[in-house]
Amino acid sequence: MKKAAAAIVGSGATPYYFRGLSAPQTQYELIGKAILAACANAGIAVEQIDGIVSYAHGFEASNICEMLGIPELSYAATVTGQGGGSAGVLDLAASAIETDRAKMVVCIGCSQQLGAHRYGTSLASLATTPTGVFSLFAGLVGPGPSMALIAQRHMHKYGTRREAFAEVVMASRDYALNMPEAIRKKPLSLDEYFAAPMLADPLCRLDFCLETDAALAFIVTSAERARDMPQKPVYIEGAAHGGGADWGRSFFWLNMEDEMFASAGATRVARQVYERAGVTPKDIDVALIYDHFSPLVVLQLEDYGFCKRGEGGAFVEGGAIRPGGAIPVNPHGGHLSECYVIGMTHIREAVEQLRGVAHNQVPDARFALVTGGPAPVPMSAAILRN
Amino acid sequence: MKSIVPDISQMPLPIDQWTQPFWDAAARHELVIPRCAACKAWHWPPAPFCPKCRSQEQEWLPAGPARLYSFSIVHRPGPTPEEPSQLIVPGLVEFPEAGGMRFVAAIVESEVDDITIGAALSVSWTPKDETNVPVFSLA
Repeated sequence: MKKAAAAIVGSGATPYYFRGLSAPQTQYELIGKAILAACANAGIAVEQIDGIVSYAHGFEASNICEMLGIPELSYAATVTGQGGGSAGVLDLAASAIETDRAKMVVCIGCSQQLGAHRYGTSLASLATTPTGVFSLFAGLVGPGPSMALIAQRHMHKYGTRREAFAEVVMASRDYALNMPEAIRKKPLSLDEYFAAPMLADPLCRLDFCLETDAALAFIVTSAERARDMPQKPVYIEGAAHGGGADWGRSFFWLNMEDEMFASAGATRVARQVYERAGVTPKDIDVALIYDHFSPLVVLQLEDYGFCKRGEGGAFVEGGAIRPGGAIPVNPHGGHLSECYVIGMTHIREAVEQLRGVAHNQVPDARFALVTGGPAPVPMSAAILRN
Repeated sequence: MKSIVPDISQMPLPIDQWTQPFWDAAARHELVIPRCAACKAWHWPPAPFCPKCRSQEQEWLPAGPARLYSFSIVHRPGPTPEEPSQLIVPGLVEFPEAGGMRFVAAIVESEVDDITIGAALSVSWTPKDETNVPVFSLA
């Protein structure tokens, strides 16, 4: 294990809203509220922020500076991509701290879906390109049917059952019962799961994550400064954003080699993050796994080495992701039951687990893994420690 | 219940110089896939460089027999609330004789309960602008 250079010292968020209900607040207003909450949590003045890191979702550092009167930035960067980069904000923030380009970096994530702007249909506009048009003609209009192709292949190749996908959703519902702001707070039975309408076979409605509005922000500074700040530091032990041509544009490409196809595409970024942190899957106490679609949780558990390739279904069905299981997953209820802010709520939960103040606290949690979405490169992940 | 032919009449068909040969062949009801003329590596979708050797020289060859690599069954509401939902089947079609390249296309007019991975497929064509869009059904 190496010595981490950067730590998360502040965490802030707006309330969580069902899609559209954050109106009339604007997106920047939500971001501003999250940043101010994170600064208060860290015990710093907003003027101390000198770095802004965000994840590709259409907001600009300049607007944030102007809105909150941040006097001087020395670092501003965005993780590129289309869904995979959320945990990558911690990689960029740590890079800024390690190279002394900034002293107080705020990491931002925000989701607001108003009116016709919905992620579920957002791929339609991406598809109107000379190569994307094939997906459009095939009826692959949202991310759901594309993920269904991957899930279907995994079921065919390894015998994975829908019961495994159901268990991911049911576990997330059970965790969410304890979460004060969870959008879906109702236990789910296996019968209810199988009674839910099919949207994109083998995915039923319950396999899709929530559509919600919120903003979250995190303050990252040096490990040295963190020791003198009010919150228990959460060290960025390792973070990575990357990937390879063998996954590439993932569900926009669909020509991955067979084993890679029936995966979440995270094997390279998993290797990178474990190497940087100097730990192995056995060291991880709690995993915050990007859960936009329930089957991709099963596949990521394989990619990140919690079980063998092809055994994710049986692993999950055996109770591994539950409290006391081999690797508790998403104790906050995740995107499936608590709230979906493109991975940011997973960072918040990791911070709370490692501060020891989580609502579904994993006893003595020391290392937390946070993953970004299975999506086009760059994918991302971070390993945090207390 | 059978899968439907998606209505693509309102969809745009953008073409660039790298996809043009595909649509020229499709106008003649020929399904072709690009192969690198230098190193003979197949690639899909069409792109300006061979990802194996970076050559820009390409040859377009017949895709050959098709089989189903993966699929989804997408449930869409019927045209009116009284009518049953419609089934659109996006399929990932594999061409074993064209380097195993996979092509995403609708699986149409096929009994959905009979659609399985590995099934042999036959191509048919839906007219679109000056050319045709390939769709597949169970052979």
